[in-house]
Amino acid sequence: MDAFVNRFKGSSTFLADEISMLDGFGSYDAVKEFSQPVFEIPAVQNANCTDEKSDSECRIKIEHGTTTLAFKFQGGIIVAVDSRASAGNYIASQTVKKVIEINPYLLGTMAGGAADCQFWQRELGRHCRLYELRNKERISVAAASKLLANMVYPYKRMGISMGTMVTGWDKTGPNLFYVDSDGSRYKNDVFSVGSGATFAYGVLDSGLDYELSTNDAIELGRRSIYQATYRDAASGGSVRIYHVEKEGWKFIGLYDVGKLHWEYCGL
Amino acid sequence: MRAKAEIPKGGFNFDNYRRNVFLEKQGLGLPKAIKTGTTIIGIHFKDGIILGADTRSTNDTIVANKNCKKIHYLAPNMYCAGAGTAADTEQSNALISSQLELHRLATGRQSRVITAVAMLKQMLFRYQGHVSAALIIGGYDISGPSLYNVHPHGSSDKLPFVAMGSGSLAAMAILESRWTKDLERDDAIELAKDAIEAGIFNDLGSGSNVDINIIEKDKVEILKNYAKPNERAVKEQSYKYKRGATAYLKEYVREFIVTEGDAMDIS
Amino acid sequence: MNPVDFYNETLTSVPTEHGFYPYESNGGTALAIAGEDFCVVASDTRQSNGYLINARYAPKAFKMSEKAVLANSVFAADGNALVRRLTQRIQWYKHSHEKEISITALAQLVSNTLYYKRFFPFYTQVLLGGIDESGAGVVYSFDPVGSYGLEVCRANGTASALIQPFLDNQVEFKNVQFDDKPRMTLDRAICIAKDAFTSATERDIYTGDHLEIFIIKQDGITIESYPLKKD
Repeated sequence: MDAFVNRFKGSSTFLADEISMLDGFGSYDAVKEFSQPVFEIPAVQNANCTDEKSDSECRIKIEHGTTTLAFKFQGGIIVAVDSRASAGNYIASQTVKKVIEINPYLLGTMAGGAADCQFWQRELGRHCRLYELRNKERISVAAASKLLANMVYPYKRMGISMGTMVTGWDKTGPNLFYVDSDGSRYKNDVFSVGSGATFAYGVLDSGLDYELSTNDAIELGRRSIYQATYRDAASGGSVRIYHVEKEGWKFIGLYDVGKLHWEYCGL
Repeated sequence: MRAKAEIPKGGFNFDNYRRNVFLEKQGLGLPKAIKTGTTIIGIHFKDGIILGADTRSTNDTIVANKNCKKIHYLAPNMYCAGAGTAADTEQSNALISSQLELHRLATGRQSRVITAVAMLKQMLFRYQGHVSAALIIGGYDISGPSLYNVHPHGSSDKLPFVAMGSGSLAAMAILESRWTKDLERDDAIELAKDAIEAGIFNDLGSGSNVDINIIEKDKVEILKNYAKPNERAVKEQSYKYKRGATAYLKEYVREFIVTEGDAMDIS
Repeated sequence: MNPVDFYNETLTSVPTEHGFYPYESNGGTALAIAGEDFCVVASDTRQSNGYLINARYAPKAFKMSEKAVLANSVFAADGNALVRRLTQRIQWYKHSHEKEISITALAQLVSNTLYYKRFFPFYTQVLLGGIDESGAGVVYSFDPVGSYGLEVCRANGTASALIQPFLDNQVEFKNVQFDDKPRMTLDRAICIAKDAFTSATERDIYTGDHLEIFIIKQDGITIESYPLKKD
């Protein structure tokens, strides 16, 4: 068993220059090292060429801008997100999957750098599977979220941008954590993350009730995201909704905000 | 305490200059002015002067006009090809052109090329290069055919053949290899066309068609689109929408013809 | 900084700092359309820098396997380096697993390869088009550091803002009401790709010279070439 685990514990990312061809298949851990320029480049040193805040002239535009939310209620957890990716003022995509299915019991959401969230949550999924193989039981949401927080913490202030909610159902019941690239990790009953979060909170907080029925809870999540997409230019596309239950997460649906608008505006 | 600003009598207004520099540093840049990108040339031949230009104008990397006019009228015996900011070249020419016309009315004599050149360079020097006009002036006056170029800062040269604009290197390569003294009219036109086409094909700022102006003694010939080496490809299919392709929310029909009273009895 | 101080500071000029900048933009455009049982990947072949044309035939799209084509845009050097690195990894995969890499696995490989250079990114936007395990056409698009997603159609590069709205309308039928939406056939996809490029060439100075269309089907990849305007 250990031999089997050992074979796959390395990451799928690799360092071509530093490993021989023979042990190149996934035995190198991405968490340990990333490629860095070997010479000093002011543009690279200053902002990693990707951080928009610290360098307005930055040329590599990474996809940003989001509204995501998740809240606990009597029936579990509702996760709702938008689906727009913007790079600068160009809408790069209207069909992004901002809910990352880490495994059948864990969900992660995506806000900030799309690649950062995708990569580290894929890495988290791998670690969670290894945990299962080692310990013969599923990882708790608390442990999984801490794993994620600890994985990205060494890269603090290096330009990684990630604001994520890790949710799932473990032996303690439904759990909801917020983890970000600054190193924060909180547990709470309700979170909203992203540029449209304030708008979503406005609707969410006024309609939130633990005793909500599942259908009402889904509707609250959907409406909150819709309102955020209505006011926040960087959010839009479709509302994607998941429901976390005892048996694992369930995909509820994808709702085009263009169509939702006519439903909600009372015409 | 600053003295009260004088109201300028005319010319450019610099009121917002410092504010705009400030805003630009804050990250709010002005929209970019349309540049003519441009290849323009002028050559002497046996009986006069030929001016040539491409017809592309660009707004950053987007083509703003596929068939614009870059050879402007200065006087009946004098034309001017312009490169640089489109508005600056056009306005500088229009300004000098009107002054030349008034001068002709006052003196009753034909305008001289050197007069126009002097007026243009004095004006451009006064604005220290901020009026972004690079010009080639060709004409035929009392002293015979003459050809000048004027740089945005106000310097000028009297030359047998000249090229300006972003495609000037490509065009000059052709002129340098093939220009000779006392070229025949047809050969000179062909040389001008080839020089402009070198710019059109090798410089991304230049493109589309070749415009040629031939200025001889008491005779000017304007050959707009003398060569069209870049016709648009035929589209593969039609993109005409069927009736009813546009979504709408409400429909109501208003009667425009209102019938009043009874219909006329025509029995 | 106090806005007034900042305002005054803008009036005094500072010396310009010149340094080595590791990236440049080489222009060019690529698009991909996924059909029911095929995929079309098209790109122009012009490579430029500023107002200069470096090469009129410098392909941006590459065949990665019998069922996948990868198209780069933006910085050619990084794009080529990426393709070289991936080609090697695909070979390794083939020899150790004794089968061709699937496009799903290849997509994740591309993502990881891009993310590995998260702190010194490959300055490239990647499109991956091909046929998946079930025989359906797929398009994956990637940002410079490896975020990726499955799409129906996608345009990348300098004319992306010109072509993407056209594809949204003609391929996904966005903003139109149709009673009978025509099926995406291979012929229609090629027509759309050609028209997208001839039109983009009219208005984008970095797109032109030649158009190369890769047609990926279950029974292999074919390449078609068409001339574009050279001005």
